[in-house]
Amino acid sequence: MIEPQVAEQLESPCSLLVGTVAPDGLPDATRGWGVDVLGPDRLRVLIAADAPRTLANLSGGGRVALTTTNFRTMVSWQLKGRALLLEAASAADRIYFDEFCAGCLGILVPLHETAEERISRMIPAGVVACEMLVEQVFDQTPGPDAGARVAPVEA
Amino acid sequence: MSDDERSLRLSDIAGCFEGIIPAEIATASADGIPNVTHLSRVDMLDDDRVVLSNQFFSKTTRNLAENPQACVVVIDPATYDSFKLVLQYERTERRGPIFERLRRDIDAVAALTGMEGVFKLRSADVYRVIELEQIHTKATDG
Repeated sequence: MIEPQVAEQLESPCSLLVGTVAPDGLPDATRGWGVDVLGPDRLRVLIAADAPRTLANLSGGGRVALTTTNFRTMVSWQLKGRALLLEAASAADRIYFDEFCAGCLGILVPLHETAEERISRMIPAGVVACEMLVEQVFDQTPGPDAGARVAPVEA
Repeated sequence: MSDDERSLRLSDIAGCFEGIIPAEIATASADGIPNVTHLSRVDMLDDDRVVLSNQFFSKTTRNLAENPQACVVVIDPATYDSFKLVLQYERTERRGPIFERLRRDIDAVAALTGMEGVFKLRSADVYRVIELEQIHTKATDG
């Protein structure tokens, strides 16, 4: 399901967008702060702890969309599925979060020609962990083919 | 929207609409499947409305036809503060001054990013802002 190049990007410093939806249909967007690929269809996604709508939407197995974008090339994939588990970040998660943020700053500071202190303002005070079951993967790279499904392959 | 209902106004975050940092948009289908993607351009139309560029996000467009609500996150390029907008779709424009202004902005973004052959404005979508809030971070809570 999750191709090697998708997994590689997910586990690299990249833009991570998380989309969820409330029971009344109201969508919500927040950022992801690190992804660990646990298996061919399982991810552990770190999400800001202070994102009450997202966390409420994910609790109880809510639907989730995760878009990863390479900061430099804009190559993007969107993974759709549902939340399996939402829990406090472990010590390993917090280390992974710090490493992810440092990696993103290492790319964005020269790319944006901006001070690290400024970009660091986007970083949340803490994260929680969401395990996600991936059911579909889409090419989301900007262009006319954006939105084409890449997995599972259509018969 | 009255001042009582929303203390933060779109004009307070005008820097977010300069198009320097791409925004993010989440929508949902009628059966509750979310979709989230980057967005080239968000412009402030007035203090109650924004206009979003629609180039090729077909899933977003399909979702909005079923469920006319969206959530957009914008970033101030001067401070990197982030803001969340909850939006209600109002209408689509494919010609006229709003469309032309957005088309010029998109053409400029395309030229800057080498995406001239990719970025082509299909429509300018007008939304009413239902909620506007700053996203909390370590810096804002510090």
